[in-house]
Parts: sequence; structure tokens; C-alpha cells
Amino acid sequence: MTLPPRHRHRLFAAVVVIVAGLLGHPPVTTGQVLPSEPISVAAGRLVISAEVSASTAAKDDAYLNQSDYGQNALRRLALGVTSALSLGARVSVLADVRTESGQPFLVHAAFVRVRPWATRPIDLQAGRIPPTFGAFARRGYGLGNPLIGLPLPYQYLTSLRADALPANTDDLLSMRGRGWRLSYPIGAQTQDPGVPLMSALRWDTGLQVRVGDRPVAIVGAITTGSLSNPLVRDDNGGKQIAVRAAFQPSAGLLFGVSAARAEFVSRVVRDALPPGATPHMTQSGLGADLEYSRDHWLVRVEGILSSWRLPTVAAPLLDTPLRALGITAEGQYKVRPGFYLAGRADHIGFSSIRGTLFEGRPTPWDVPVTRLEVGGGYYVRQNVLAKLAYQHNWRDNVRDRRTRFVAAQLSYWF
Amino acid sequence: MPTPLARIVPWMVCGMAVAAGTPCGAQTGVGVGVGVIKGQVDLPREVAPVARRPDIRGLGMPPPRPEATRRRSVVYLETAPGEAFEHGNEPRTLIDQRRETFVPHVVAVTTGTEVDFPNSDETYHNVFSLSRVRSFDLGRYASGRSRSVRFDHPGIIRVFCDIHSHMSAFVLVFTHRFFAVTDDEGRYRIEGVPPGTYTVVRWHELFEPQTRSVEVPSDGGEVEVSF
Repeated sequence: MTLPPRHRHRLFAAVVVIVAGLLGHPPVTTGQVLPSEPISVAAGRLVISAEVSASTAAKDDAYLNQSDYGQNALRRLALGVTSALSLGARVSVLADVRTESGQPFLVHAAFVRVRPWATRPIDLQAGRIPPTFGAFARRGYGLGNPLIGLPLPYQYLTSLRADALPANTDDLLSMRGRGWRLSYPIGAQTQDPGVPLMSALRWDTGLQVRVGDRPVAIVGAITTGSLSNPLVRDDNGGKQIAVRAAFQPSAGLLFGVSAARAEFVSRVVRDALPPGATPHMTQSGLGADLEYSRDHWLVRVEGILSSWRLPTVAAPLLDTPLRALGITAEGQYKVRPGFYLAGRADHIGFSSIRGTLFEGRPTPWDVPVTRLEVGGGYYVRQNVLAKLAYQHNWRDNVRDRRTRFVAAQLSYWF
Repeated sequence: MPTPLARIVPWMVCGMAVAAGTPCGAQTGVGVGVGVIKGQVDLPREVAPVARRPDIRGLGMPPPRPEATRRRSVVYLETAPGEAFEHGNEPRTLIDQRRETFVPHVVAVTTGTEVDFPNSDETYHNVFSLSRVRSFDLGRYASGRSRSVRFDHPGIIRVFCDIHSHMSAFVLVFTHRFFAVTDDEGRYRIEGVPPGTYTVVRWHELFEPQTRSVEVPSDGGEVEVSF
């Protein structure tokens, strides 16, 4: 269930009023009556924190900010509660439950973390675990994001689905730029959203091992889903293998490379394919990320190259992997205490295919999209952050639809 | 209940009076001795250390960190005799950043004090404060480096690290020198107090301030005031 837009705006206004009202009665030294620190119980064994974030912007009828979580990233009310239960110095259980814009609470993460040897930097995590691949998905939904929108490679919905496939290139080309709602003849006969290059909002399920810490850390994971389509329960009998190596030569510089490969399409598609279709319909990903910070500057650059290998069923044949390259660059500068400016530029490009549409010319299988978002944040309190951002999108097939947005967000956490 | 800012207003007024050459604050006696105010602070309840926010996005166990004691209070004279405002050299102190903890958690200084914030960790730290009395942001700096802040106005300044949200500290700035930070057992000792009648305040970050009235006799000596 999703709240109607009118009610969402009222809810946003209510959150603003409540937070402002509560901040108006400063007790002792914290300056606010809302908690400012995590709640610690059972002598510190159980720690609970929470984050609430309300964002508002004009309606996005081109669905440029629609995420695979079913929400517009610029118009959402999110509440997340995170807990950590310590079972000694080397074992802990962590969980994160989240609700978005009036929908029911969902388990976003739930895993056990084990350090088998006290003196060796080896850690195991099992359950619904943090993403191994890339950098942004582990930075946090609201607090780790200096702006309001999400980076395109982690949010923008392409015209691919894991539970429905085009029969030929024309099917795919006819759905260009319609990732928010599309249908294909093979597999699920519904109209549903496509998938991003990598999901930032849904986490995969499996086992993860980290070896080392600084200056070199290697992480490997085996999980049930794929970069685009993380899962709780396996739906195709395949497993994803993901690895990441991070090199941190100094405190302010981090360079990471990632790779992943997984069976992509679901069983409902496999069952619908004719006998003899290719047995492996995979998503492969390569990623590189760089973070540099110093003084009041923070710069991040990240690139993801994703490749989907899909079956060929009918002419015109889909005989090459479908590739997409997403690049995002982000900068943040603190102008004065409590106030920063930030900007981000994103682009996703797609490999070309040929069908009978577009006069048979090689055509990107989805419409390239570019985004520029600039804005700033002001800390009303140490744990209350107000953001304002302006976002401009460029996509060829957007006609008479809004591509520019002004968005505001208020976040509180403890 | 007065807010912390309301409590420091008398110090500021007092400071201005001293600048004008007028004896200020306490009713100072005529005796020649100086006294000591000492005592014990027992907090209303056990104080847990600051917990780390659950590191749900980490790929492994976070490094262990010492539990910053939050048992320490600051005891000070609400108003002080005129000679208390005569500072000599410009003092300096430090708050270290060690294993993602500010050490010590509470410092009390006089106005004009320069506080150094060295980074003794291998990771970056970014010390900042949004306090109205003194807001600052030292930016990110690496291990072995130090940056400093000068505190010229009295008040309570809460300090954080922008990278590690579980790190926090307090700097209490006074216009006079009659204050003390309690030790781990809650003991404190304020020395060199001229004879007179004073209001002694116990400050702790989690509790409302408590006050006691005390008289230092004209021949000096030790006066016990506990909270």
C-alpha cells in the first residue's frame, strides 16, 4: 500500500513540525528532547538506532527517480530501525527493518557477524548481508548520501527484467526508456518495473568473508540473487559469486575494484523457454571506485560495467550480451560548520543492438540517461540534517515531461 | 530550571565588572587565608558509555574501542572573586582521538585556552562543533596530525567527529579558574579559593545541574561539599 501523494506531503509537513517543535525545548546539554545517541540496553549488549527521513519534490511523471524499492527517491518518507546484539567480543547479530511511505516494515538486513580468531583480520557474515560489490550501496540510505537523489547506476530502472524476457531485439527496443513499467512475451505476463545496474536498496542473501583490513582488504561472497536483483530466496538455482578488493594506502584515499557473476533470470522464464535455449542467462559486473578526502573536501568516483547474457529465441536475434556502463562522480565541500555544498554527475550508456525498428540502425538497447544534481545540507542539530537539491536529467525520449526537480529532505537519526 | 547558557550569563556579567575594576561575584571576606573546596559527586544513576551505532553496512567486525567514561562531572563556582579573572599566560590543553574515542571525554578550561585535537588513530577524524558558543569544523586530518581551537567565550561546547558518530566530548569554558573535573571516583578539589560565600555547581552532561551554597572561612582551610 502506498500513501496518496497528498497524504505524503501532509506527512512530510507533520514530520517537519514535530521535529521543529521537539527541538524547541532544550534540556540539559543535548539541546533536544529527541534521543541523540543510540539506545543501549542489557549493559550495552543490545544497541538500537533509528533514522527517519522525509523527502519531497514535484511529481516525476517520467519516472526518472523511480527505484526498484517501488518508490520515488525524491518523494519518500522512510523509517529505519537498526539493532546490534552482541554475543561476546567475536559474535554479533545485526538487523535492519525499514518502511517506506506507509508500506509495511520489511527486513532490509539480518545477518550474523563472526570473527573466528581474535587476532586475525578475518570476518564472516551470513544472512541478508551488505553488498560486496561497489561502494555506494554500503554508504547508507540518507546519511551517507550528501544529496537527495540516488546515483543513476544504483537506481535507474533499465528495460530488463529477471522474470520476463524479450523474444527478439525488437521487443527490447520497443521498451527503451520504459523501465518503470514494462512487459515481455516470455515469462511473467505482467507489467512490472525493470532492474537497475545494481540495487542499492535491496540486499542479497548469502555468506560473505572478509580478509584483511588496511591497507588491503579482500571480500568474497556467495549469494542467492544478482547485482540487479538481490533475493532472499533463490529463484533460479544459481548462485552469485562476488569479490571486492580495496586498497587504502593512506587514511584519505581508497581505491576499490569489484567483480560479480550470477544467474540472472528466474525460473518462470526458464520454464517458458523452448528446449535447447542457452542454459546460462547471466549478469556479470565489473566495478571500480575511488574515494579521496582531505580537510573539508570529499570526492568519490565510481563506475559499473554490467553485462547481461540472455537467450536468443526468435529473429531478429539477440546474439550479443547487453552491456551498460554507469559512471558517477560526486563531490562535497564543507563551507562552514554545519553547512556543506555537494554535486553529483551521473551517466548510463547502453550497448547497441540491431532490429527492424529504427530503420535497422544499431541502436542502444535502452535510452542513455544523464543526470546532474547539486545541493547542500544544513545540520540543524548534530543529528538533524536538512537538505535542498536541484536535479536535472537528460534522456532523449522524454517529451513534455518534467526532467528538472527541486527536492527537500529532512533527516533525523540517533 | 535554567539552561546551561543561562548559567554562564553571571560569569560574563562578572567578567565585565572585573574589567571595570569592581569586585564581583561572591561576598569576599577580609581574611588573609585561601581555602579549598573539595568533595564527592555521586551521580543519580549509573552512566553507560556512549554506544556505537550498529555498523550494519560494515563488511566485518569494527575495531574495539575503549569505553569513554562518562562518570566525570565538572564542579565550579557559579560566581567568583575578582582576582579569579586575572589570567597570566595563555593556557593550552588537549583532547586526544584514540581508538575512535575522545580522551578525555570532558575538559574544563578558562577563556583564551587553546585546545589541541591530535589524531592518534590510523583513520581520519573530523572534529567539529555546532555549539553556539564556539562552532568550528577542523576538517579531515590523518594520523599524527593535530589541529587546535581557541575558546574565547564561556559556555559549554559539545564536540563530535563527523566520521565516527559515536565520538563526542565536552569542553566547558569558564571566565575564572575556580573549577575542577572529578576523577573516576567522583572526587574533586578546587584550590586557592579566597574567603567568602559561594554557590558551587555540579555539572554533568546527562543530569540537571545541582547547586550548593558554601562558605570559605576567613582563615581559609578545607570545606567539604558533596553532591
